[in-house]
Amino acid sequence: MTNKLTVQQQYRKYPSFLPRFIITIIAMIVFYFLWAYTVDYRGINPRGLAIAKSALVGLMKPSWAMMTDLSSTGLLYLLTETLAIALLGTILGLLLALPLAFLCARNVAPRWVNYTVLTLISIMRAFPAFIYGIMFIRVTGPGPFAGALTMAISSVGMLAKLVTEIIEDMNPGIIEALDAAGCSPFEKIRYGIIPQLSSNIISIVIYRLDINVKSASILGVVGAGGIGAPLIYAIAKGSWAETSAMLLGLVVLILILEYFSTKIRTKLA
Amino acid sequence: MFNDFLHIFYPETYELSNGKKVREKFNWGPYIVILLIIATIISGKITGFSFETLFRRGHVFFDFFKLMFPPRWAFWSEIKKPLIDTINMSLLGTAIGCLISLPISFYLASNFKLNKTYLSVHRGILSVFRTLPTLIYARLISIVIGTGTLAGTISIAIFSYSVCVKMLYEQLETIDMGPYEALESTGANRVRCMIAAAYPQIRSYFWSTVLYCFEMNVRSAAILGYVGAGGIGVQINNSLGWREYTNTGLMIFALIVVVVIIETISREIRRRLVQG
Repeated sequence: MTNKLTVQQQYRKYPSFLPRFIITIIAMIVFYFLWAYTVDYRGINPRGLAIAKSALVGLMKPSWAMMTDLSSTGLLYLLTETLAIALLGTILGLLLALPLAFLCARNVAPRWVNYTVLTLISIMRAFPAFIYGIMFIRVTGPGPFAGALTMAISSVGMLAKLVTEIIEDMNPGIIEALDAAGCSPFEKIRYGIIPQLSSNIISIVIYRLDINVKSASILGVVGAGGIGAPLIYAIAKGSWAETSAMLLGLVVLILILEYFSTKIRTKLA
Repeated sequence: MFNDFLHIFYPETYELSNGKKVREKFNWGPYIVILLIIATIISGKITGFSFETLFRRGHVFFDFFKLMFPPRWAFWSEIKKPLIDTINMSLLGTAIGCLISLPISFYLASNFKLNKTYLSVHRGILSVFRTLPTLIYARLISIVIGTGTLAGTISIAIFSYSVCVKMLYEQLETIDMGPYEALESTGANRVRCMIAAAYPQIRSYFWSTVLYCFEMNVRSAAILGYVGAGGIGVQINNSLGWREYTNTGLMIFALIVVVVIIETISREIRRRLVQG
């Protein structure tokens, strides 16, 4: 059909300028009012520029004392703690998510169970992670334990949802074939179900671990352990050498993790 | 039986009827599982994980819901402004970040044959920027320009920019270059080629990325108040400090309702964008 159009007709089909112009103007006006309502700009903090200058100078010189410190206030320990929170949270989250995912899958459980579990998962996903942090601090006291529990609960929703999709995509033919060959239930799980699920689940878990390391690094703000609290205090105190060391450590940790996680995931896919 | 179990860890060698020996493929699986279990136990030690505490004090988690339960509705008039601020901060930040990211992403996509050095340097800087959470930017910026919503907006803009650019240039690298080359052969300059031939191919993807960023930012904007970057986090922190849990309950409830509404709408629009 397009071949029959002449150049003139094609030109007439080109979207006209006016509607776009009007939309842009409206968007700008809306933007201006939102800005005026929310943003309170009281001028640059008079000491701000001086602080910014000292910060930039300080950030160039990371504190070696902190980087080589092996005690519990040192960089390495804080990074290990952050990683430990994320890892434990991801594993616990997976353990909680697997049964929920099976209950959520349409080819495993009846429809009413699906919907009940799905509603439960949606409610769990709705809470922002730091609110779980606030609640778990009451249970365990401030510290990395609360962080790990927070990570676990806040990863359940996403893990369960993605694992459900994998379970629903499972090929039932393989299990039927194993059944016909006279395999026991254990063998059916070992050779029919696990190989179909494992690579996808591992890929999802690694992806979630990546996310969890990032959120574990901010949960310290509400008191849930990890590198977040020392980092924020260091910025507030203006000890830029320590801030710099911690930022550097965090960036390197996350970049290394990201590199390996992409590598493993492309290999699994 | 025990020997069978050991064969999980090293490849077995079978002898076929013609005397040929066949070796199984080496399987890393069991080793990785064992390493993972060890790592989990070590993590448990570091974080001080104990099931005993969990069972003994786990009910406190649900008691907190009871403390919050009848949310004090009278508090609504006080949280209206911070709540709208939180949404506005993420809306403005996303808009600024994503709008800047659109032209830049063309310079970072490798298939337009623009400057290679610039490309790799900018990509490297962006991947460093992406690793840091919004909260850290908010803290750093609020020192320079003072606490308030502006610091939050700028930090959200930086984060949206670094996320959005990456998603866009990755998408741009997968587009069909035929129309672009055709336009180039008619003598159009690069910018016109990009606008007319490349942008329409990623338009729906761009808007869906913007919405995705917005969703993420609404979630993360709530915590920004903790470092004084405006929004509802300030009030949540204060009410917890004053032990006015019914106020906290109202704020958490309002926050969740807002997040769910925004996510539902944005998911629906994104689904249609992908289809249409």
